[in-house]
Amino acid sequence: MIAHLEPITGRYVNLEIEGAPVRIYFEEAGTGTPVLCFHTAGADNRQWRHILNDEALTSRYRFIAPDMPRHGKSLPPEGWQTEEYLLTTETYISTVLAFADALGLDKPIYAGCSMGGRIALQLALRHPSRFSGFIAIEASDFQPAWYDIDWFHRPDAPGGEMGAALVSANIAPQAPSVERWNTQWMFMQSGPGVFRGDLSFYTRDDSLVGQLHRIDTKRAPVHLLVGEYDLTCTPEDALRTADAIDGATCDVMPGIGHFPMSEHPEAFRPHFVAALERMP
Amino acid sequence: MTPQQVFPRLQEMQASHNDRPHLARLGALFSETVLLEVDTVEHYLTFEKGKLVLLAEGPSRKTPWRFALRTDADALDRFWSALPEPGFHDIFGLVKLNRGRIDGDILCLVKNLRFFKEFMALGRQEAAG
Repeated sequence: MIAHLEPITGRYVNLEIEGAPVRIYFEEAGTGTPVLCFHTAGADNRQWRHILNDEALTSRYRFIAPDMPRHGKSLPPEGWQTEEYLLTTETYISTVLAFADALGLDKPIYAGCSMGGRIALQLALRHPSRFSGFIAIEASDFQPAWYDIDWFHRPDAPGGEMGAALVSANIAPQAPSVERWNTQWMFMQSGPGVFRGDLSFYTRDDSLVGQLHRIDTKRAPVHLLVGEYDLTCTPEDALRTADAIDGATCDVMPGIGHFPMSEHPEAFRPHFVAALERMP
Repeated sequence: MTPQQVFPRLQEMQASHNDRPHLARLGALFSETVLLEVDTVEHYLTFEKGKLVLLAEGPSRKTPWRFALRTDADALDRFWSALPEPGFHDIFGLVKLNRGRIDGDILCLVKNLRFFKEFMALGRQEAAG
């Protein structure tokens, strides 16, 4: 067997988020237009592994995929051991902006999935001048939880494995088995309380409701992608959201669930390529 | 599928289930009775350390159960199709579509979620023959 060395490189950047020093791990590949790629709740940047390995795309784009603090190889901020982790929209936005500044990125495209997709819409509303466009994957203004987030951080049960079993509901049956299980592995590996803390803002912050009409897609385009098997952000949720944003577009992806780039990279690719082509 | 066709399917699933060592490992701490109610037909599934040791049809007022999955025959038939439609691909999808309901100790289900979902999905393989 011939060893295959992937073109992805991983590095760490030390920066401050809301006054606290953090060490962020990120992976990148490619040259050209920068594209920030943010992962879902309870997972990490490995969800983007196939896009970062796509040579036809990395010849035109520089994909940069960070691990949010506490996720993947990014350590938590000092003092985490006595804090209850509850991510907020404000902290997520601060993280994205601080990371883009730290890398000196000039108006990157922002692509994010699930909670990262929700933040795409928040950034489009609050910071459109910082980005050239937004790809909001499995994103909507808001949808209530159909589960109890406290299930995923208990002393008597493995939160990661329970989270993986729950999110398997969001993976389409068409997903190749190896990618289905790779996708769940990341949830199984997530740190204690991380999935719950991510979901706390995702399932409770409804601050986008009634605000979508204020997003100006002439300043930066917004394109939504949603999988037809997504139970959490359903096609109806995404289409409703796109309809409320003047100029936004939405693409429903057949045979795909909530983790498109990870669970079924081959089916996701053409939709993502079309989304990139909509960006300036 | 009629509600009466569920029990023979469960019997086939029982054999498949007990042939899978990884399910016994996943369910090593799972010794509970589960009620699967299809329309009004009750099925009691008793697991012992991950093995499905007893299948019994209701009705029964004497059989205690830890949690129940209640659905209808059409929804279960669609759930067990080789390529289920969106929403019918997962037990929580049935709940979200208002075609299923989970009662009882849902935390017990969630703690053993992969185990129970993989058991329920065996009905697809049995349907495919």
